Amino acid sequence: MGVLGQQLLNGLVTGSAYALIALGYTMVYGVLQLINFAHGEIYMVGAFVGLLLVTVVKLPFLAALPLAMLAAALVGVTVEFVAYRPLRRSSRLAVLISAIGMSIFLQNVALWIFGPATRSFPPPFQVSVLQIGPLRTNTLALLTLGVALVMMVGLHYLVRHTKTGKAMRAVAQDRDTAALMGINVNRTIALTFLIGSSLAAAAGVMVGMLFNAVVPTMGVMPGLKGFVAAVLGGIGNIPGAMLGGIVLGLAETMGVALLSSQWRDAIAFAILILVLLYKPSGLLGARVEEKV
Amino acid sequence: MSKVVVRSLRARVGLVAALAALLVLTAGAGVFAQQTVVIGTLGPLTGDYASYGVSVANGVELAVNEANASGQYNYVFRVQKEDTRGDSVQAVNAINKLIELDRVTAIVGAVLSGETMTAGPIAQDEGVPFITPSATAPAVSEIGDYEFRNVITDDKQSAQMIDYVVNTLGLQRIAVLYTNNDYGVALRQGVEAGVRAAGAQLVAVESFLDGDSDFTAQLTNIAAANPEALYIAGYYTEAAQIARQAQRIGLNVRIMGADGFDSPLLVELGGDAVEGALFTSGFDSETDDPAARAFIEAYEAAYGVKPDMFAANAYDSARIIIQAINQVGPNRAAVRDAIAATTDFPGVTGPTTFLENGDADKPLLIFEVQNGRFVRVR
Repeated sequence: MGVLGQQLLNGLVTGSAYALIALGYTMVYGVLQLINFAHGEIYMVGAFVGLLLVTVVKLPFLAALPLAMLAAALVGVTVEFVAYRPLRRSSRLAVLISAIGMSIFLQNVALWIFGPATRSFPPPFQVSVLQIGPLRTNTLALLTLGVALVMMVGLHYLVRHTKTGKAMRAVAQDRDTAALMGINVNRTIALTFLIGSSLAAAAGVMVGMLFNAVVPTMGVMPGLKGFVAAVLGGIGNIPGAMLGGIVLGLAETMGVALLSSQWRDAIAFAILILVLLYKPSGLLGARVEEKV
Repeated sequence: MSKVVVRSLRARVGLVAALAALLVLTAGAGVFAQQTVVIGTLGPLTGDYASYGVSVANGVELAVNEANASGQYNYVFRVQKEDTRGDSVQAVNAINKLIELDRVTAIVGAVLSGETMTAGPIAQDEGVPFITPSATAPAVSEIGDYEFRNVITDDKQSAQMIDYVVNTLGLQRIAVLYTNNDYGVALRQGVEAGVRAAGAQLVAVESFLDGDSDFTAQLTNIAAANPEALYIAGYYTEAAQIARQAQRIGLNVRIMGADGFDSPLLVELGGDAVEGALFTSGFDSETDDPAARAFIEAYEAAYGVKPDMFAANAYDSARIIIQAINQVGPNRAAVRDAIAATTDFPGVTGPTTFLENGDADKPLLIFEVQNGRFVRVR
C-alpha cells in the first residue's frame, strides 16, 4: 500500500506538469483549431530562461519563475505573430506545417545557443525530504504540485469570471461573430498564446528542477505527451486538459511501477489511439458536430 | 585516334589527382617523401555522450601528433575524426565514410557499445582492423577477427564491483537500475553473476530508457525493497540525475557503477548526491607511473583538461595501431595480424595483451567520489 500510494503521488506530480502543457494546446486549439506543435519548445525555452535566471543572474525562485514565464510567453506570442497569423485564412494544413517548422526552428536555435549537452538545474533553495504518514516526498515535488494547482485555479478564474475570459470563449465559439460584437480578435488570440505559453514555461521550470535536466530536445516528448493529455481530456476543453494530464501522468507512472519502464511511452500513445478510436471527443469533451 | 580526349569526370579527377601528387612529390624533392597513412576515429563528438567521444578523439590525436613529432616512424600519420552523435545509425554512415572516402588503414572506435555493434560489422566485412577503446558490451567480441577491444568488458566490471561491495564493504542487499541498451543489460548480467558468486541478495531490478529524465517510479520500487547499495548500469548524465532523485525520495544508499561514470560531468551534474559513489575504471589520472604521467601532462597541455579512461585507452589503442603499421606497412590485413600479436604493450593503462577473442587483458581499478574527486580505492 505504501509503495502504491507513493507511486500515485509520483504520478500526480508528473501529471500536473503534463496538465500545464496540455492547457496551452487546448486553449490554442479552442480559439484557432490549430495543434500548436511548437508548444513543447516553448516549455523548453521556459526551462532554459529559468535556468539562466537562477544560475547566472542568481534570482530567487519566486522572481525567476514569473520572469521565465514572461519570456516564454513573449516567444509564444512572437511565434503566433510570425508563423500563424499570416496563415490564418489559409488551409489548416498550412498552419500545422508552419507549427512543425517553428518547433524544429526553436529547437535548433536552442542547440546553437546552448549546445547539445544536458545541463543540471539546481533549485535555488534547499530541497528536503518529507515524511507524510506512509508517504515520502520532498519540498520540490510539493512545490511543483502547488504551482500547477495555483496556475490552474487562476486560469479557471480568468476564463470563467473575467471579461478577457469571456472574449476568449466568444472567439473560440465563433471568431467572425465575436469580431462583429466588438471583440478584438487578434488581441484575444495573442493573449491566448501568451497565457498558454506562460503555463508551459512554468511546467518547464518545475520539471527542469525536479529531474535536474535541461536540454534543447527536452520539449519533444513532454510536448507530445501534453498533446495526448489534451486529446484525452477533450481538445479545446480546459478542465479536460487538466484531467487528461493528471490521468496520463498516473497511467504512465503506474505502468512503470507495475510493468516496466519500457511501457512508459507506449502507454501514453496507446491511450491516445484508444481515445481517438472510442471517444474522439475525449473524457470531458462535448459531443459537438463539426460546424458546416 | 592519336588525340587524347579526357571525357569522363572520373578520368579528369584522376588526372588532377595525379598532377597534384606529382606536384607534392616534386615539392618534396631531395628529401625522402614519406607516405601518409590515415587512422580513423569515430564516436559521439556532440550530444549526451560527447564527453566520451571527445576524450577518445583527443587521445588518438595526441598519439598521432607525438608519433609524427618523434621522427621515429616510416610513415606520416593523419587522424580523420567522425561524429556519430552517439547514434547507432549515424555511426554506420561515419564508418562508411572513413573506409570508402578517407581510405583509413585502421580505426580507433567506435566509442559506445550500441554504435560499435552497428559500425563494427561494416569494418569487419571491409577488412579494416579497428580497436574500440570503450565499447564494453560482451557481444562486441563476436563481431569478428578484425575487432579488438582495449577495455575491460561490462560484465567483468560489474561482477568485480559487486565482489568488492559485498566482500570488502560488507553490503548484502543489492539493487540494480539499468539502462535498456547493450551496455546496461551487460552490466546487469554481471551484477546478477556477481551477486550469485558472492552469495549476496539481489533485492530489486528496474530499468529505464536512453534519454529518460524521470526515474522516480523506478526509485520508489527500489526504495520499497530496502537495499543497501544501488548499482546504476548507465552513463554519467542519467547516473547523476538518478542519484539526485534518489536523494530526494530519501533513498540514501551506496551508489555504484562502471566506467560510464568516469567523467568530470558526473560530479558537475550530480553534486553532493554522487558523493561516495563507487565505479570501476581502467585508468588512474593520479598515477605515479612515469610513462602515464608523461601522457597526462602532454594531454593536459594540449587540451586543458585531465585525460579520463576513454582518452587513455584511445591513446594506447592508437599507439598499438601506429606500432603495427610501422612494423608491417599500411596493409589492412597485415596490420590486423600485427595488432593481434600485441603482447604486454607498455600502455598508460597498464601492460596490454590481446586475447584470442580480441579482448585486451589488463588491470581494473575501483574509484570512489570523495569531495567531488575520483580517488582510487583499489
